[in-house]
Amino acid sequence: MAGEEIKLERIENCLWEIPRQGGMRVPGRIFATEKLLAGLKEDNSLRQVMNVAHLPGIVGYSLAMPDIHWGYGFPIGGVAAMELNEGVISPGGVGYDINCGVRLVTTHLTYSTIQRKMAGLIETLFSLIPSGVGSEGAIPGLSKTEEKRLLRDGARWAVAQGYGHQQDLDHMEEGGALPNANPELLSDRALARGLKQVGTLGSGNHFLEIGRVEEIYLSDVAQALNLFPDQVVVLIHTGSRGLGYQTCEDFLKVMNQAMTKYGIQLPDRQLACTPIKSPEGQDYLAAMASAANYAWANRQVIMSQAEKGFLKVLDISPAELGFSLIYDVCHNIAKIEEHVVDGQRRRLCVHRKGATRAFPPGHPQVPKAYQGVGQPVLVPGDMGRYSYLLVGCQAAMEKSFGSTCHGAGRVMSRTQSKKESRGINIDQEMARRGVVARYQGRGTMAEEMPHAYKDVAEVVETMDLAGISKKVARFRPVGVIKG
Amino acid sequence: MTDKQKAIREIEHTADLGLEIEAADLPGLFASAGEAFYGLIADPTEIQPKEEISVSATGECWEELFHAWLCELLAQFNLKGFIGKQCRVHRVEPGRVEGRIKGEILDLKRHRFHTEIKGVTYHEFKVWHENGKWRARVIFDV
Repeated sequence: MAGEEIKLERIENCLWEIPRQGGMRVPGRIFATEKLLAGLKEDNSLRQVMNVAHLPGIVGYSLAMPDIHWGYGFPIGGVAAMELNEGVISPGGVGYDINCGVRLVTTHLTYSTIQRKMAGLIETLFSLIPSGVGSEGAIPGLSKTEEKRLLRDGARWAVAQGYGHQQDLDHMEEGGALPNANPELLSDRALARGLKQVGTLGSGNHFLEIGRVEEIYLSDVAQALNLFPDQVVVLIHTGSRGLGYQTCEDFLKVMNQAMTKYGIQLPDRQLACTPIKSPEGQDYLAAMASAANYAWANRQVIMSQAEKGFLKVLDISPAELGFSLIYDVCHNIAKIEEHVVDGQRRRLCVHRKGATRAFPPGHPQVPKAYQGVGQPVLVPGDMGRYSYLLVGCQAAMEKSFGSTCHGAGRVMSRTQSKKESRGINIDQEMARRGVVARYQGRGTMAEEMPHAYKDVAEVVETMDLAGISKKVARFRPVGVIKG
Repeated sequence: MTDKQKAIREIEHTADLGLEIEAADLPGLFASAGEAFYGLIADPTEIQPKEEISVSATGECWEELFHAWLCELLAQFNLKGFIGKQCRVHRVEPGRVEGRIKGEILDLKRHRFHTEIKGVTYHEFKVWHENGKWRARVIFDV
């Protein structure tokens, strides 16, 4: 689909601006190489950057990361910071999958020592970690009382139940739980959906991937993160499941109705929002925090199940396996953070929809272990090529409200990708790429084949050139499970 | 290709999945949208009409009603795993829609699963009457 012609001005080598026009309150800014930019003109994502610039209280710029692509309301890869007094909060600016995110786990193993056991390992992980699609059940099943505890405590709840270890909590954004969660604000339907899905992966682009360290770019940082060549690592990508989707849907309805009351008019209903200070805005933030906590608990349970799978198949001790969480990032979230705007320190509500926080070395919200190197950023690519570990840099605070890219970014519609996949034996194709794959639906695999995505190398390189985040290591996928 | 299939078109969207539906009347529009929606989740040829459920939804205008209807079908799938094959809508009036859906519980061992739908978005969402036909456009987050 061809997008409309939108005029762009070059600001830096990899930074482009859409000047203010019409109802835009701030300019739009897009991080992209010329090659990535050419692809953007094919869809409506630049118009979505402009639409976000209409939101009341937006400061600086409506930003887009280089993995930007056409979403609903916000573009995927969009970042928007709102000031707290006049600004708005938009559930669509967070997305249906609240706190969709990625975590990276390292092991003491090298790929060459487990290569022969990959098929059995993937089969075991597939049986231990359900997709949770339809009526398929959760691990563990919850009572309603227990679910509310989970919603308040996030990953802490999972650790207290025996999933993972206390030290894991130091390696997550917010320690794996936002403090302002209020489960009483979630609908009965959202809570009912949540009961069945803790420890489930979901479908679409969600996955658990076993990778091996293929290349190290910054050896001192890699050493600080205990990475070494050929090391086996695990990436887990999932979010808050049906509980989060339902919460977004519930609050979109609330905000669509309330916007008239606040005199807010927008070019796209999916941008529905209310003032952050309004009762609706405050309720959404507390409901969103509950769903975000659910996502952290979900990833924690899945990680623990994965550890069990490795121990069982490889028949080694936990000490020999060395399953260790490097970091857990959110890429669909709104957070209250401090940033400097026009020389003044201000508290802002930063929406990141398909964008990752990338705080620099020394930032108080970076875990103690990473104070010297900066916040780890996890950027999965498509399942056949490679994924990246980056660290945040100071320029992120100056140019992107402490944000960077989150993935490869799609270039092909799901329908088109399925057409391109016709006649391809997916198992053989993945095997040719050296990946053992186990999946629930061929349709999802056909939609998610590497040809549907930008080359994530180009995406991370853009942010490296812009000084926002630096490449630390690249991982090659060797096994994947998908819903 | 049946008349019903002809009246449903998948929208090309980079990240998500969308549908355009056309029908002679509102009950037909709601029923066709329901069947097309289920067809995005799993292969409808493998679903058997073993059970029948009643579904209703409320909304202030046709658009809100249509949106609420699809949200209700999505919730029934997510809560019970119920996937429809045949939708029959027997009442559409301002404020309320009621229908009965024949289908069964999704069984991942027997049914060809396509993808999970996260939400019914309002992005470019539209229900309108044109040239004697009812039309709707909807994009799902997947």
